[in-house]
Amino acid sequence: MQLWHTILQLSLLAVTAAPTAAAASAWGFTDATVSVHAKGAGVGSGLKENIPDNKALTKPVSLGSTDTLKVTLTAREGRSAKRAHQVFLLLQDPETGLDISYPFNVKDNGKSRVELTQKDLPVQFLSLSDPLNAKLLIGSFGSSEAYNGAAFKLAVTRSPDQPVPTVEVSRYGKLPEIHHIFKDDPQNPPIVITLAFVAMVLATLPVLAGMWLFLGANVRHLPNALKASPIPHTVFLGSLLSLEGIFFLYYQSWTLFQVLPAVAVAGTVAFISGSRALGEVQGRRLDGLR
Amino acid sequence: MRWCLSLLLFCFLAVVNALSSSGNRLLVVLEDATEKESYSTFLGDLEARGYNPVVESPKSDKLSLFELGERAYDHVLLFPPRSKGFGPSLSPKNIIEFMNKDGNVLLALSGKSTTPSAISSLLLELDLHLSTDRSSMVVDHFNYDIHSAAETHDVLLLQRPGQLRPDTKSFFDGEGVLAFPSAAPHTLGDSNPLLAPILSAPVTAYSYNPKEDFGSVEDVVASGSQLALVSAMQARNSARFTLLGSVESLQDKWFSATVKAPGDGKESETANRDFAKQLTAWAFKETGVLKVGKIEHHLAQDSEAPSVELNPKIYRIKNETVFSIEVSEYKYDKYVPFEVPENDALQLEFTMLSPFHRLDLQPSGKTENSSIYSTKFTVPDQHGIFSFRVNYKRPFLTSIEEKHEVTVRHYAHDEYPRSWKISGGWVWIAGLWSVVAGFLAFVIMWLYSAPTSTASTTKKTQ
Repeated sequence: MQLWHTILQLSLLAVTAAPTAAAASAWGFTDATVSVHAKGAGVGSGLKENIPDNKALTKPVSLGSTDTLKVTLTAREGRSAKRAHQVFLLLQDPETGLDISYPFNVKDNGKSRVELTQKDLPVQFLSLSDPLNAKLLIGSFGSSEAYNGAAFKLAVTRSPDQPVPTVEVSRYGKLPEIHHIFKDDPQNPPIVITLAFVAMVLATLPVLAGMWLFLGANVRHLPNALKASPIPHTVFLGSLLSLEGIFFLYYQSWTLFQVLPAVAVAGTVAFISGSRALGEVQGRRLDGLR
Repeated sequence: MRWCLSLLLFCFLAVVNALSSSGNRLLVVLEDATEKESYSTFLGDLEARGYNPVVESPKSDKLSLFELGERAYDHVLLFPPRSKGFGPSLSPKNIIEFMNKDGNVLLALSGKSTTPSAISSLLLELDLHLSTDRSSMVVDHFNYDIHSAAETHDVLLLQRPGQLRPDTKSFFDGEGVLAFPSAAPHTLGDSNPLLAPILSAPVTAYSYNPKEDFGSVEDVVASGSQLALVSAMQARNSARFTLLGSVESLQDKWFSATVKAPGDGKESETANRDFAKQLTAWAFKETGVLKVGKIEHHLAQDSEAPSVELNPKIYRIKNETVFSIEVSEYKYDKYVPFEVPENDALQLEFTMLSPFHRLDLQPSGKTENSSIYSTKFTVPDQHGIFSFRVNYKRPFLTSIEEKHEVTVRHYAHDEYPRSWKISGGWVWIAGLWSVVAGFLAFVIMWLYSAPTSTASTTKKTQ
């Protein structure tokens, strides 16, 4: 029983010790600084922050269009400074996941540095509103656990009067819908105005009739004319009426080739009967009746 | 006897048809015949799916992609060459010519050996770029197999690729992890819409040249997800070129390996076999192949009367028109109804030089192996020679390009509204008929009016 307890305790100890043992063979960094220098500014100006060992800086770092970002660190495996095969500054857009890595300049003693300006960033990163996630990747071959941790947030600032560069790439995909915009239908004037003008036009007929009556127009010769030559007069007037009727039918539904023979017939009838009727009218004039 | 033979022949044809939509003649170019053993499961799977693999060495004299000017094979699978290239019969020009004749190519590379410059120049023609030393290898200190690559970290463990974009179909997804040993990375040119990455490296991965290593990488062309491991180029004629970065991932050993990621990762079986099936199926046109069936357009009508003319040559402006297209998709061994992916749309354009209408086609019906998409729209008020166009080009799907010309005429003289229906014309109509009435009244008055005394008196006074 006692033995079991000791074994259990020993194994528990081993379990609790395991992470520390693993930590001893894990990659990390120390003496990390991030600094931003404006171009032309004196030494010591600009921002310079120390990044706590294996942790992230809480303050965001902003990089202007003429600034240079510089990150230095000492990579170490466990507790000893050592040269790592991969020391990268990884920038990632939190929204799209777009990523790019910048390798550090690594010395044999593990001291590493990288410098970065806005010209080195991909164009897609220049127009972001949210700050980028900057991570440090430190790793090498072998069994040591590689380090992948957030370092700071990098805000890319641009002066508002500079245009944001954009990239246009062609990709096959859905295109925006297009709906044809139709021309407006023709408009009619207000019906009241139309009716007023129609009334004015139609009013010319009573005005004409009134004027004629005022000047003494009459049909007193009609019985004489019908008595003298009844057939030509009725046929002539009838053919004139039927001509107008044909024109009405043409307007309403007939085609030209229906109209032409009908007009030819009615016109011939009107010509022949009209010459007879007008002969009778001439007779009345010769009689001195008009 | 005869019907027995024809039945046999029919069965044989059915078997032959039950595979790629574009044929089963597969050329496998493998330099070292002894290596064939290590790919036996992969090649066996291809054979089981109905392919007819012919394994040839690139040095063989009788190897030729063409016979009498026509393609001798439907698909080519190229294993990485040992020597300086594939030789004269598989020059970049010949491979491009093969693709121009609708042949499909799957090229596998390996990070273990330097890729010949002939292949690099072939890839450059397709806007796929290898690193300048052509012997880089991808490593990832975060996602590697701790069983087989504890020291070198060059066996990448990758998640199965999902959708490339929210509006594309995923042909390569599924469960499980992929093991990619000694993968040769490549990058994609950004101006080519015909290219599509299938599998990218993890964010933490990078490439380096093991032969020129100075302790740490300080100069990378690309890193992370910019490194593509598997990519596809689908040409305008829908011929497919697929580039696989790790030929070793097709080996029997990796088809059923147990891998474990660093950290507290669990042991898991690789899904390489499934992925290899999906990849070859896509590359050799067993998936993602679209076929257009019937295309119909006609005047819209309220009742379903059969009297309406189908596909008329002429429409009038402002006609209500219905357009429908039947699309099917090939899936391994048969055509199935094609479903447009979510966030995507099959679009109809009604164009004269430029589109007047561009409308999303809506699913309106389904048959056993096709789906029908249709839309209804009003012909624009512009006469001319128009065309119904369906131009559907998407990553991983063969392109649909349909163009059907129709004439759009304006109103005929008897199709306008009659003049009495236009209230603005009433004034002129009234004017016309009042002149007619006035003329008749004048004729009667002139014929039958007797002179009046007042008239003669006024004459006298004048």
